[in-house]
Amino acid sequence: MRATFPRDFTLGIIPILLIGALWQAIVAYGYAPPSLLPPPGQVFTRLAQQLVGLDYLAQAAATLLRLFVGFAIAVVLGIGIGLMAAVHRGVDAVVRPLVRVLAPVPKVALYPALLLLLGFDHASKIALVAADALFPILLSTYYGASTIEKKLVWSALAAGTPPRQVLYKVVLPAALPSILTGCRIGLVISCIVVFLAEMISSTDGLGYLLVRAARSFQTVDMFVPLISISLLGLVLNALFYCARRVLLRGFPEV
Amino acid sequence: MSAVAGEGGARRGFSIGPFTPLFACLGLLVVWQIGAMLLATDSIPTALEALRAVPDVLGSRDGLVNILDSIRRMAIGLSAAVVVSIPLGLVMGRLRAVAAFFNPILMVIYPVPKAALMPIIMLWLGVGDLSKTLVIFLAVTLPIIYHAFEGAKAVEEKMIWSGMAMGMSRVEILARIVLPAALPEILAGCRTGLVLALITMVTSEMIARKSGTGNILFNALDMGQYDTVFAMIIVIGALGIVLDAAFDRLRRLLVAWAETRQDIPLSFT
Amino acid sequence: MRPLTMPRTMAEEVSRDAEIAAAPPMIAIEGVSQIFKTAGRREHVAISSINLSIADGAFVSILGPSGCGKSTLLYIVGGFVVPTAGSIKVRGKAVTGPGPDRGPVFQEFALFPWKTVLGNVIYGLRQQGVPRAEAEERGHRLLAMVGLKGFEAFYPKELSGGMKQRVAIARTLAYNPSVLLMDEPFGALDAHTRTRLQNDLLDIWERDRKTVLFVTHAVDEAVYLSDKVVVMSRSPGRIKQVIDIDLPRPRRRAELLLDPHYQKYIVDIERLIEDAPEEAVHP
Repeated sequence: MRATFPRDFTLGIIPILLIGALWQAIVAYGYAPPSLLPPPGQVFTRLAQQLVGLDYLAQAAATLLRLFVGFAIAVVLGIGIGLMAAVHRGVDAVVRPLVRVLAPVPKVALYPALLLLLGFDHASKIALVAADALFPILLSTYYGASTIEKKLVWSALAAGTPPRQVLYKVVLPAALPSILTGCRIGLVISCIVVFLAEMISSTDGLGYLLVRAARSFQTVDMFVPLISISLLGLVLNALFYCARRVLLRGFPEV
Repeated sequence: MSAVAGEGGARRGFSIGPFTPLFACLGLLVVWQIGAMLLATDSIPTALEALRAVPDVLGSRDGLVNILDSIRRMAIGLSAAVVVSIPLGLVMGRLRAVAAFFNPILMVIYPVPKAALMPIIMLWLGVGDLSKTLVIFLAVTLPIIYHAFEGAKAVEEKMIWSGMAMGMSRVEILARIVLPAALPEILAGCRTGLVLALITMVTSEMIARKSGTGNILFNALDMGQYDTVFAMIIVIGALGIVLDAAFDRLRRLLVAWAETRQDIPLSFT
Repeated sequence: MRPLTMPRTMAEEVSRDAEIAAAPPMIAIEGVSQIFKTAGRREHVAISSINLSIADGAFVSILGPSGCGKSTLLYIVGGFVVPTAGSIKVRGKAVTGPGPDRGPVFQEFALFPWKTVLGNVIYGLRQQGVPRAEAEERGHRLLAMVGLKGFEAFYPKELSGGMKQRVAIARTLAYNPSVLLMDEPFGALDAHTRTRLQNDLLDIWERDRKTVLFVTHAVDEAVYLSDKVVVMSRSPGRIKQVIDIDLPRPRRRAELLLDPHYQKYIVDIERLIEDAPEEAVHP
């Protein structure tokens, strides 16, 4: 792996550089007016400016707040319900049909209902994020918990673990790889959903910034939130990867 | 803890009856009804009121046209994405250089909600069908590429070697060995793609209000026609469920030979 | 291989055996049957009407071809599976579920991947409320006993199969069960490791002579290790015959392999197993 990393890196950089060059070329040669497609230099300068600006940071903070709170709710509910459904037949019988029905429904269709119920500020966005991120976490927890090696549970029971404790002493840790995969997906979905929700209907946040810039035809300002959300996604992904490596120290790499 | 600490040798039933999802729907509607009656605000109609508004929405010319427009855009975006993404993903799965080439740029694009590209794309391509279809296309390509990539990567070397020994060309091997072998994984990606297409369709219409289901939704919201809002939610929800069920049928048909891993797939919204 | 106890005289052996016979059986398996429902709603009789008495301190092997239900019987004794009919009593008390008096060792090792080797071994002790420092100290001693000193901080994934099984054995011994239930514990290991572990198991067993129920499909393993071999027939699993293995302890592999008594046991038992007509496998 190490020997090929430099090669992979150079290969991977090429499309990004190419697109950058293409972008610059299109603007420089006048194929697109700067009002429609500002040159990359301008965009990134603007981004750097904004990143230290208070207004921008306040908007980003609002987005991050909704993102993390929504995600946290989805994690707690998803893992909780997923585990319970995997071990308890009664819970399973109720949860599975509900998930089967609700999972394919685009939760964003519920957004108007949430707006009506919870208002136009943080709560409706947090609820939407939670609703969207819930399902992958729940599904992967359920899958992970149902497919753990039965003998692990038996070993724990024989060692004197009371049956009630098996859930968090054995099932949860054993299902952790699967759970974390679901959480990663849920995290990306949270990024996407919070941004969209803010675009559709909000008075603050990164998504709102995009819409505001669009309305005033400030093309450069439109790119800034987009790049921000992409960067945010990458950073969160990297952080998650580190967290995963620590949490799954003992597990063989699958 | 009976289900996990295997008792009496009984196998855990992994199939749910065909009617249980129906019961789940009914259950949800009942909860909605009761909740709405308890809340007793104008802005949240009861389930019955919303259901009564559904035929109005579907029956009205305007409503029907909007919905059909939506479906049409989604279908085009989906098909185009499938045609492009599957080959790309397969090639990426088998040729490391290609994977290394595309991977970073895909990772950069991944967290960006494609519907968020709407305002920019609208500037370039206007508010019509093309911008929305393009956005759906972009949204769907990513999961399909990823799944095709993973599926192709996982194909056993020995199967490929058999093909080579039989004198098949690289392209033939890709089409006749790798593709079928990776099909279960690809179809899982398509299922995700379907869900994403639906979401992107609705959100792109919510952002570029000109036609479509998202448009009806927010128009009705703006005009205070709350019955219509919820009726539309039911319609979109039903659309999602029906499409997903139909796709699952198709998937089972196509890959009946694959060992069934599990009943509930890891589909994400 | 150094013996851990002096070889017993014949007289000592006989008097000990008499003691054991007089006491109530350690494990009483009465009329146990197990019926599984298969996917096609058919019924598969795994084991049928098993009656078996196992004395305290006996090393008993359950031997049979694959699918004869021997593992199922073990799981029933362990309380992991509820039998369709019949009962199990351990020391006179009915078995209602798993417990630290019957410690399992599985073929798949079943070590907790998220815990270190030491963490795995002291798990049972911590469950019983033993304070951490003391538990760790006992864990260290156990690991030394199974020959894994120095591996305390390793994770199971970093160990070979043989080492993992040693950890599993140490983990079970840690909570001091009166009965050891071993389900083809060396089945997943290569021949060389298997031999070493068989010898190590005997060494460990000689120290306190726990009751052992040992499931295997290898005739030589059963004869080498046990006091009694219970031969089971193919599905539906029934006890064909119980054979007393009258070979002196401690057992030395090199000597035993050349011992005609040992060889005769092997030949007789193999013939006994082969006698079973090929029954059709129920689809």
